[in-house]
Amino acid sequence: MLEKFLALAPELWTALGQTLAMLGIGLSAAVLVGGPLGVLLFLAAPGQSLQNKPAAALLGWLVNTVRSFPFIILLVALVPLTRVIAGTSIGPLAAAVPLSFAAIPYFARLVEQSLREVPRGVIEAAHAMGASELQVILRVLLVEARSSIVLALTVLSISFLSYSAVAGVVGGGGIGDLAIRYGYYRFETDVMIATVAILVLIVQAIQFTGGRVARRLDKR
Amino acid sequence: MIRIENVSKTFYLPKGQRFDAVRGVSLSITGGEIFGLAGKSGAGKSTLLRLFNLLERPDAGTVTIDGRELTSLSKAALRAARQNIGMIFQQFNLLQNTTVSDNVAFPLRIHGQRRAEIAERVAACLELVGLQDKSGSYPAQLSGGQKQRVAIARALASRPAVLLCDEPTSALDSETTRSLLQTLQDINARLGVTIVIVSHELDVLAEICSRAAIIEDGAIAETIDLRAQQALPRTALGRELAALAAGRAIATAATRQNTAEAEHA
Repeated sequence: MLEKFLALAPELWTALGQTLAMLGIGLSAAVLVGGPLGVLLFLAAPGQSLQNKPAAALLGWLVNTVRSFPFIILLVALVPLTRVIAGTSIGPLAAAVPLSFAAIPYFARLVEQSLREVPRGVIEAAHAMGASELQVILRVLLVEARSSIVLALTVLSISFLSYSAVAGVVGGGGIGDLAIRYGYYRFETDVMIATVAILVLIVQAIQFTGGRVARRLDKR
Repeated sequence: MIRIENVSKTFYLPKGQRFDAVRGVSLSITGGEIFGLAGKSGAGKSTLLRLFNLLERPDAGTVTIDGRELTSLSKAALRAARQNIGMIFQQFNLLQNTTVSDNVAFPLRIHGQRRAEIAERVAACLELVGLQDKSGSYPAQLSGGQKQRVAIARALASRPAVLLCDEPTSALDSETTRSLLQTLQDINARLGVTIVIVSHELDVLAEICSRAAIIEDGAIAETIDLRAQQALPRTALGRELAALAAGRAIATAATRQNTAEAEHA
């Protein structure tokens, strides 16, 4: 058992690296694109300061549509686009493209939800002091919602860890893929158990860190 | 100082009915005055106050503060003009995730003041409200009265000529209310800031206002002078308010006389 595990170690390391790469790229895209999109979703909603019915409807429709794709269908449907962006349709980099596509609207919704928890009066007070829309976003909304946004990112990381296993279908690699290839297809139960154990550890670590950071940031 | 001319504001409820919150109100408030807006809940007094700094934009009419007609300003000019109008709220509306001093620094930072000036001004404002030792605390660690004092310090940071108070004491107990009103009076006397205060608590208005307008159904039913004897107010609310103010004046005179006699003896 130990021998086998050692023989598998290099592959485990590679797989771990691939998983982290996919998560890293997907989550970065989520934060950089999904974050601002979430702020727009919030501000365009009725009763908010940039209230705009057509824009809110369009953005909401876009987000819902992407989110309604089962991930495996999105993965396949995006292959042509993945070739253009990543130069290939196989491997962890290629898998990061559909992962990002799925992560962006998901995180956008989570951010929108977090911002809704900021009391309206605080936003109003900032306006009364002469704050611009951008200042309200950066100095009020993101500051007041920061711990809730960190928790949203934690939830996102954990669901995308399991999404990244599905990416094995396009040769994405990663820990989940290892579990499927060795443990499931080859009936090597011990490998399956080992990989799942690693995934459990990663999930625990993400949740623990996210929870701690969120608590630190929360002064309410 | 403040001139409101013929302002109206109508809200359309989700089901499509219209609600005329403010109807054709004109009002003029002198510099250095403490002016009250009294009325039952739903009378439109808070909406009227929010028209003063254009948190609500009037559908018609003009708002002029300190010689500047706010209703004609561009967005950027309005933001700059709002530095001259402080505001405090019933629920304090402080940033919960920043310290007391960062809250007070907020209006200065958003208008790009220099760091050294900000630090100095924040310290001065916290001292004014007696909270210099709380600068590193977070709002959650403060009592209601202390939170409202932080809100006052924040509202005064940019040296406004006008301070708008929307039910400032309604979330506070009577003891805290009294000391907060004392602070407001003190600020009015020392800095000459014009104060407009909305409250449904008549004794609060009687305590500190020199004049008050009675708001009924979105319009001013009457304006009464609380410092000078005058004809009996027409509205029930106005008579109650005048009686409270007069009673307070008598009580104050009595206290003064007692103190004087005690000093004699």
